[in-house]
Amino acid sequence: MRSVKRGLRSFIRHPLASLAVILLLFVCLTLSLSMLAVRMAADSQVEEVKGSVGNYAELRVSSQYQMEVFQQQRKQDPAKRQAEARKMSEEEVLAERAQLMVPEELVDDFSRQPEVVSYDKVLETRVTLPEIESAELASTLSLRGGPSSGALSPSEENSFFFEGNTDGASASDFLRGAKVLAEGSFYTYQDYLQANPVVLVEKTLAEENGLEVGDTITAEITGAQGRDSEMELTVKGIYETVEAEQEGETRDPMAFNPAGSKFYAPLSVVQILNGTPGYVELGCYYLDSADSSAALQHKFQDMVINGTEGGERYELATDYSDFEAISEPLHKVARTSLIGLVGALAACALIIVLAMAIIVGGRARELGVLKAMGATHRQVLLQFAAEITCVCLVAALLAMGMSAVISQRLGDWLLREDALATSEQEAQSGQGMPVMGFMARNLYKEGGRFSLSGSDKPEVKLEVVYRGGLLAYGILILLGISLLGTAVPVVWINRLRPARVLAME
Amino acid sequence: MVAVEQGNMADLLEVKEVSKSFRVKSGEVRAVDGVSLRARKGEVTVILGPSGSGKTTLLYLIGSLERPDAGEINAFGEDICRPDADLIAYRRKRVGFVFQMFNLIPSLTALENVTLPMDLDGVPSEEQRGRAEKLLAGMGIEGRLLRARASRMSGGEKQRVAIARALANDPDLILADEPTGNLDSASGRVVVDILAGLARREGKCVLIVTHDESILRAADWAYQMRDGKLRGIEV
Ligand SMILES: Nc1ncnc2c1ncn2[C@@H]1O[C@H](COP(=O)(O)OP(=O)(O)O)[C@@H](O)[C@H]1O
Ligand SMILES: [Mg+2]
Repeated sequence: MRSVKRGLRSFIRHPLASLAVILLLFVCLTLSLSMLAVRMAADSQVEEVKGSVGNYAELRVSSQYQMEVFQQQRKQDPAKRQAEARKMSEEEVLAERAQLMVPEELVDDFSRQPEVVSYDKVLETRVTLPEIESAELASTLSLRGGPSSGALSPSEENSFFFEGNTDGASASDFLRGAKVLAEGSFYTYQDYLQANPVVLVEKTLAEENGLEVGDTITAEITGAQGRDSEMELTVKGIYETVEAEQEGETRDPMAFNPAGSKFYAPLSVVQILNGTPGYVELGCYYLDSADSSAALQHKFQDMVINGTEGGERYELATDYSDFEAISEPLHKVARTSLIGLVGALAACALIIVLAMAIIVGGRARELGVLKAMGATHRQVLLQFAAEITCVCLVAALLAMGMSAVISQRLGDWLLREDALATSEQEAQSGQGMPVMGFMARNLYKEGGRFSLSGSDKPEVKLEVVYRGGLLAYGILILLGISLLGTAVPVVWINRLRPARVLAME
Repeated sequence: MVAVEQGNMADLLEVKEVSKSFRVKSGEVRAVDGVSLRARKGEVTVILGPSGSGKTTLLYLIGSLERPDAGEINAFGEDICRPDADLIAYRRKRVGFVFQMFNLIPSLTALENVTLPMDLDGVPSEEQRGRAEKLLAGMGIEGRLLRARASRMSGGEKQRVAIARALANDPDLILADEPTGNLDSASGRVVVDILAGLARREGKCVLIVTHDESILRAADWAYQMRDGKLRGIEV
């Protein structure tokens, strides 16, 4: 304790030397702490992203298999196919219809992976609603058809898009906020389990057709005849469109729904309307983290592709590449800041060792006096350690304040530098262009077959927040350089010959 | 009087056949060569010799700041050259050093320089100040000088503070290396009188090494040192 007091006194009594070292240390420590803050921010942001992007997987029929089926169908004579279809049993008809669909059971089975946090099943189809009219749809279709196509068929005019899933609130459009519920309520998981014939209707469409919550709509069941060919759907909720759908890269005019006047209903209801009970278009899985993506892909390979009859026709699409795209600049910033951190720390180490060598060298006589008067090594070291810790502490406190001011700027600058470098690289190599063509299919999570306007690549922002962890690291750095600084007098005191320094003229 | 070798149990210090060599570029220097010496409480012993004769080395050997190559140094009935000797306690309480270069800590005040050995020895802080003030008053250092930094003091003041520091833990053996070497003759005389007074009035054993023959007037015993060898001379 006395030694520490002597150290503090010595610190105060050598203001010039202390100030010089403090100043030098302050600069390097500011840089170190800022780099550290940026590094930690980048890392934690990557972790954050992992929970929202790259943690999504979709089990669906592969594009390749779709192509094969289309090509086969094209080769066949349509008349012959219709004749064959008439002879088919009910099961055969279902199998034919579900050719490009996924058995619901398979989706359920695959959901039992520990990585899966939640999952949903989706079926999108067209349903004919004889009583419903949409002025906007009609005008778009007539425009699209052009003068040569002539009049529209009535089925086209009254056929509407239906999206079914297990819980209305978690339908992609609502989750993303592209659509919001205006009146009534969402259908629930219970509605799905009990196949309650309820539906969500778009507001404009509802107004046009005088529909309110509680009203019913008649829908035709695909492939059914007679009494059972119709279903009464009750309007459970009315929604508004915030962001209209954009035409995606897959130019499928039949699928395009510009008004966004889609109907949302429990999956089981849509399955009945589509005439495909037990089948879904896709199963979507939310994983605990982007880190689980690869593991799940492996399991998919084992369980579905290799472990299921006809499993090769399915694929597991993920948004991992989105995660990579978002996290790549963050990773780069993390790397750069780590290099900066190491450099700045090395400079700190160099400064403290050199400064201490100069200071202790200049005070060799003092060390000699202490030794001659019976000071133990422990006493001398404690005194110097206290003095050095004071110097480092003041420098560290100043540096913490300064880095709080500059680290956000440093982070932004690193990110911007990186973005510039990347865009230059891409311009040179001609990369960075969107992949076009039939193969590019959007994920359900991102708006199904349509992409949202302006949603190409989310902008990456780095938010440098001061965390407790940073303080802990700061203290660690402080201790580290203090110890390093103390090492100098340790070496000195052990090599010191008091008789030599005390007799110095 | 002539310094003669006579066994005496009252001897505080007994140096027997001590030698010390230093390795230098041109070979080996025998700084201290088979030196024997006795010193008693209440007496001033002066070793006179030219520069480079080995005086400082001998004094540092006695003060345990150097280890002899051969020989024995008995102080207070113990051989301080033995590996298990408690040198920390010896330096803290048994010896007080006065140097030619004063060797005060420049950033500390007179008072702080004197309390430093007490602090190292664990003397309670309440006690330190009173003791230090008393010691300094004895050396004629009072008032504003107590709070003056050592770096701002004159040579004579510095050496008097240094003597007070040497006395901080009330040691019986005072070792002074050229105490007047950096002082004008008036200040030098004051310092020598103080040292002599310590032996006469307080019964300390005072050992002074110097090339300044005027100090001989204060000596009870005197030795001449030349090329590391010691012989008694008359005073
Ligand atoms: N640490 C040392 N290393 C090498 N030589 C030394 C050392 N200390 C003293 N000497 C040599 O020993 C001799 C005696 O030195 P010293 O005891 O300082 O003499 P004095 O104090 O009488 O002037 C000198 O020749 C000096 O150069
Ligand atoms: Mg000398």
